[in-house]
Amino acid sequence: MSLPVSDSPEDLRRWRLPRGRHGLPRELVERSQRERLLAAVVKVTAANGYESTTVGDILGEAGVGRESFYELFDDKLDCMLSAHKLLMDDLEERVRDKYLGEDPWTERMRRALAATLDWFAADPDAARFTLVELSTVGPAFRPTFQAEFARAVALLEQGMGDDAPQPELAQANSLAVGTILARIYEEVVLDRAAQLPSRLPDLTYELLVPFVGEEQARAAADA
Amino acid sequence: MAPSVLATTSADLGMGNQRQRIIDAMIDSCAEKTYAATTITDIVSRARISRTTFYKQFDDKRACFDAAVGHCIEQLQGVAAAAHDREDTPADAVRKGTAAVIQALAERPGLAQLLTGDAIAVDPRVIECYRKATIPPLEGLWSRGEGEAQAYSDPRLAFGKAQVLILNQIAIGKAERLPELLPELVYLAVSPFGGHEAALHQSQLATEGTAADVAAGER
Repeated sequence: MSLPVSDSPEDLRRWRLPRGRHGLPRELVERSQRERLLAAVVKVTAANGYESTTVGDILGEAGVGRESFYELFDDKLDCMLSAHKLLMDDLEERVRDKYLGEDPWTERMRRALAATLDWFAADPDAARFTLVELSTVGPAFRPTFQAEFARAVALLEQGMGDDAPQPELAQANSLAVGTILARIYEEVVLDRAAQLPSRLPDLTYELLVPFVGEEQARAAADA
Repeated sequence: MAPSVLATTSADLGMGNQRQRIIDAMIDSCAEKTYAATTITDIVSRARISRTTFYKQFDDKRACFDAAVGHCIEQLQGVAAAAHDREDTPADAVRKGTAAVIQALAERPGLAQLLTGDAIAVDPRVIECYRKATIPPLEGLWSRGEGEAQAYSDPRLAFGKAQVLILNQIAIGKAERLPELLPELVYLAVSPFGGHEAALHQSQLATEGTAADVAAGER
């Protein structure tokens, strides 16, 4: 029998274990507790900020006991970083699915960008949690940021097929990731994550111009 | 009376020095362990002052941090303005200003860490301060005081992009190698008002010859 939960954010949000004596196998109980805690840390941190959030707040939101929490996580930071990784894995999977393929590179870039904007727009809590709150966790922020940035650059490179342009800037791929991140960050900070999909044409232009020049970038943006 | 005037002056200087030492301590501590992990104790021990002295200068950690951010912005504005003169074209001026700022940040990575990482974490609205400090002077360069400069892309966004790139370079632990990002950063600085072609051209100039700029500066 396959477990009725996956690591997707939908399941994280939907999944609630019935309270009381449920007779479910221990493995499933633990798994559900872990996922409820991960969903809870995202929600509570997005609402109150990382610094103000206590383990007690997370327990209250998740309906999980303190002892169970410390069996699953070292501390609040560990729980936060685990949730962050899970969300970023999900984002990567969705973007990868749209980006890698046989179609022309500019088209795939536009689709990957659209998927990214949709992902952040669909869940403003996750957007605030992954972008804004991460930067307030202290020294763990830098290696986490760097790892996620490198992961995005690697995916971009992986999809640079034979038809991909040869940009004159040596670090054009980093520039592209920075472009997407800067725009999304700005909208999320201003609580405008829901409007992100409407930025697709502008951002397509901004993203592509260092690779293909003004004319082609405009054409791709208006497509 | 001369002695009392002197006494007042040196006391004022002492206050100013203390304030600067505290600000420097804040910058260095943030660079080492981020703002979130920095305590007043860290700052007073680094600055070799008492807690009382700290609280005479600042209400709290946040007020001290805000002063440090303001200090960094002021320093860099000065560096950028001194790097070019009236005879430079707008694109050349922007390249030289950008190169000078990046050089200053590489020499003191704590400044870059503070401005691109911690300041944003403490209050994301700080990026508005950066824009106010940079975009009007940029626009002024391109319009030459004649009406509005035409924008190819959003100059506000260019700033965010530069911030992300610098932050990543620092997160990798290569702050002293920030100048390696110069071609991309010059591209970002020139493109909003200069367009893609001019930005690429300036980016190539930056790659080839910071040497030429250095020679021009020494003339």
